[in-house]
Amino acid sequence: MLVDRYAYSNRWRAASPEAKATFAAGGFIAAFGAGRPSAALTVAVVMALVTIGGARVPLTVWLRVAVAPLGFLLVGMLSLVFSVDAVGDGALSLRWLPDGWEPVFRLGTRSIAALSALLFLALTTPLLDIVALLRRLRVPATLLDLMVLCYRTLFVLTDAAQAMRTAQAARLGYATARGTFNSLGLLLANLTVQVWERSRAMQRAAQSRNGDGAWRFLEHDGAMPHRELALALSGAVLLVAYAFGNP
Amino acid sequence: MHIMEGFLPIEHAVGWTVAAAPFVAYGTWSIKKRVATHPEQRILLGVAAAFSFVLSALKLPSLTGSCSHPTGTGLGGLLFGPAAMAPIGAVVLLFQALLLAHGGLTTLGANVFSMAIVGPIVAYAVFCSARRVNAAMAVAVFLAAALGDLATYVTTAAQLAWAFPDASGGFSASFVKFSGVFALTQIPLAISEGLLTVLIFNALTRFNPDELRALHPSDNAKVRP
Repeated sequence: MLVDRYAYSNRWRAASPEAKATFAAGGFIAAFGAGRPSAALTVAVVMALVTIGGARVPLTVWLRVAVAPLGFLLVGMLSLVFSVDAVGDGALSLRWLPDGWEPVFRLGTRSIAALSALLFLALTTPLLDIVALLRRLRVPATLLDLMVLCYRTLFVLTDAAQAMRTAQAARLGYATARGTFNSLGLLLANLTVQVWERSRAMQRAAQSRNGDGAWRFLEHDGAMPHRELALALSGAVLLVAYAFGNP
Repeated sequence: MHIMEGFLPIEHAVGWTVAAAPFVAYGTWSIKKRVATHPEQRILLGVAAAFSFVLSALKLPSLTGSCSHPTGTGLGGLLFGPAAMAPIGAVVLLFQALLLAHGGLTTLGANVFSMAIVGPIVAYAVFCSARRVNAAMAVAVFLAAALGDLATYVTTAAQLAWAFPDASGGFSASFVKFSGVFALTQIPLAISEGLLTVLIFNALTRFNPDELRALHPSDNAKVRP
């Protein structure tokens, strides 16, 4: 998984998740606070530059991750570009750009700015760091357990699914539309049965090691990195101030 | 259908988060209670969450030629009950936002509401009523998964229409617009998802009848291996 790989290998991997989350939160607030499309676009560019220049995530990676959501954004904005209205019996009137380009640009740039803030957090902070942060924020242990287990198993199951898919494809399982459907059904059924198999195996493994429920992991500890946090906070405040200064 | 990051105005983003929170909180509490009596379910639910995440990475061929992925909301709702699906779905959607940039943090509440709350509840309700009128297991599962999927997408369309009412036609025109954009892909997709869920259930009744029974106290007598 591309995002996960860079979350572990970027330059700010060791920076405290609190600091990174604070800066990302600043980006989110600025994205929503910026009224003028140009201001929102600036927020997006700043967040992207910090991710690329600061955390040293390659630009190509950033673009590859961003391209799918940007495609969704284009489709979503289509519905704002034209307006449908029912006139009389069953007839529809289509109007191009009912309110002009302004709301379309506003929405587009806001989404891009928020996406840029999300990518900053996602590309610099491994998921387990985020879980650790949520633990310090007193999120219920049941939810955190789900997250940890989900994260640990996700790659195993992805691997299993890919192996099955390769095996099926090698046997021309995806050669025809009918075959594709059949193969997918078999794959999913197999994977579903594995959910029970694997969880039972994990349960036994935990029990044989005196597992008593909660799984505990060593977390990065030590004093709060005040310098990082102060830096992130001032960056966030600057962004938010800029955004609200350009309503 | 995921609503992308930053797409909803701030009032809507906060509003949907507030609306989804009690469901997630209740679901978390119900899982906690369940795990206290059945410790093995803790790992099962975690693996199930990973399974739904993997599901969303699989491309599903749709009849119109476009590709999309199964949502698994119906399947999860039937297997683990709608209450547990709210927190599981919330975790999966959070992971999708953070690992795939699919969906988002500000739109998490809205996405949880449509995919992890409305979808499973509809699927479960449809399943129960279909079984009550003595529909065959396969028919009940198909209807539950397909209608759960459709309910999810109608909810998303309504959420978008509410956030972006049409300039001249208001909410209803906007709703038609958004459903129109999705209907082409979503109706065939719902049918595919229904059929696939039936296949999954068949495999489960063949290989894991005991687990299926243990999961579904309400439907004990009716699940036959």
